[in-house]
Amino acid sequence: MASASDLGSTDDYEALMSMTDVELLKSAWRQEKAAPEILQFESRLIKRVREQIQLMEETVEEFTESGFDPLTVSLYQMDLDRTQFLLRSYLRIRLQKIEKYMFHIFATAELLTRLSKEEKWFIERCCVDLQTHLEKSVLSQLPYTYQSIFQQSVINDETDMVAKPQLDTFVVCKTKYYLGHIQLEDNADGEPDGSSPYDSGSQKPLEEPFEMEPNVLYFVRYKAVKKFVEEGKIDLY
Amino acid sequence: MMYGTKAIQLVKEIANGEKGQLTPFSSDVFSEVIAECSQHFADLRSLIRKMQEAGLDVETTKDEDHYGQLIHHLSLVRNKRCLMAYMYNRAEILRNLVWNVGSDIPEEIQEKLSHSEKEYFKKHSEALKSYMSRVVLELAVDMVPPKDPYIKVRVLDDMGEVELPSDNTANFARHSMHFLKRTDAEKYISLGKMEELTG
Repeated sequence: MASASDLGSTDDYEALMSMTDVELLKSAWRQEKAAPEILQFESRLIKRVREQIQLMEETVEEFTESGFDPLTVSLYQMDLDRTQFLLRSYLRIRLQKIEKYMFHIFATAELLTRLSKEEKWFIERCCVDLQTHLEKSVLSQLPYTYQSIFQQSVINDETDMVAKPQLDTFVVCKTKYYLGHIQLEDNADGEPDGSSPYDSGSQKPLEEPFEMEPNVLYFVRYKAVKKFVEEGKIDLY
Repeated sequence: MMYGTKAIQLVKEIANGEKGQLTPFSSDVFSEVIAECSQHFADLRSLIRKMQEAGLDVETTKDEDHYGQLIHHLSLVRNKRCLMAYMYNRAEILRNLVWNVGSDIPEEIQEKLSHSEKEYFKKHSEALKSYMSRVVLELAVDMVPPKDPYIKVRVLDDMGEVELPSDNTANFARHSMHFLKRTDAEKYISLGKMEELTG
């Protein structure tokens, strides 16, 4: 999450401070759910949430033992369940992204640093297991110049067989700030997607830079706002 | 026979299959495609040899043998992509299975897997389990957002006396109805041993 220094004003800082950890977790969960790629693991937040969950569990247990009003207890329990769900779902979404794009994440230093210690351990196991499986059942039986798991053959020198997340997918997002100069379309790095021959006109950079007003909902390509998402300036929905 | 027609069968099997459902591993077609790859490679090499014997520069000569090689190379690469897509997508279904039914897969699914797939399934579910024990959190429960902490369920399969994660024990006789903590019941529901009673 954003640290105090890069927030626009003290209002924002106070707004952030008044958010409970559960609310922060909910926001992190939503971001992770909406973003096509894996985001930075919120290690400090998760640590705090887990401590709070433990505390809540103890409280519920205490209440149950001391014969508290069952309704009150069940309200506490419900709150606890919801937090537990958010935590589990957050970790689960991340694991599922890791499973899906394991080779890509593992080979990209920037993405690998976003993982928690346990996730790093997990992705390593995932890659070894899947690679072993594919080598055993397919690659080892192919002619030797065609045995790479990442390239189609030795002639192709790029890793053209690795599944990557689609960063030009659309996301719904909103910001608390005024953000200008957003480059909506760029063919500079030439993502060759199949649609280009038909709408090559709209692929050109727009004349007017795109701007985002605070608190307005936008529907844009993830790639265009990726930087702001990582900086915590844009919330995905 | 046209090159690549076998390999496309594998891809079609994945594409036409019901989402998330495994079809029996097509070992016959699979090994036929593998054999086709070896044949392409042999043909490719014999064309290179032929050019070398005729004293031609393999890199620059653009004669019919050069294009013959190209066809064999491209067919081989295409076959490889199909084989890999087949295995890769099946592996993905297997991983989702770990999430949905856990590490014990029913006999009827076991039968559909190749030897290596069975091994992969086992290894991957171990990896996932090991991750969960590292973070000290069971992640295969709480798959849907909770509405009510307690739900009403009916037992579909006789399970007898069962110890629940919340330290209680319950007698799950067939057709009996219970009012349980949702987290306790979830596992049995996903295994099809219980159903949630709604309304």
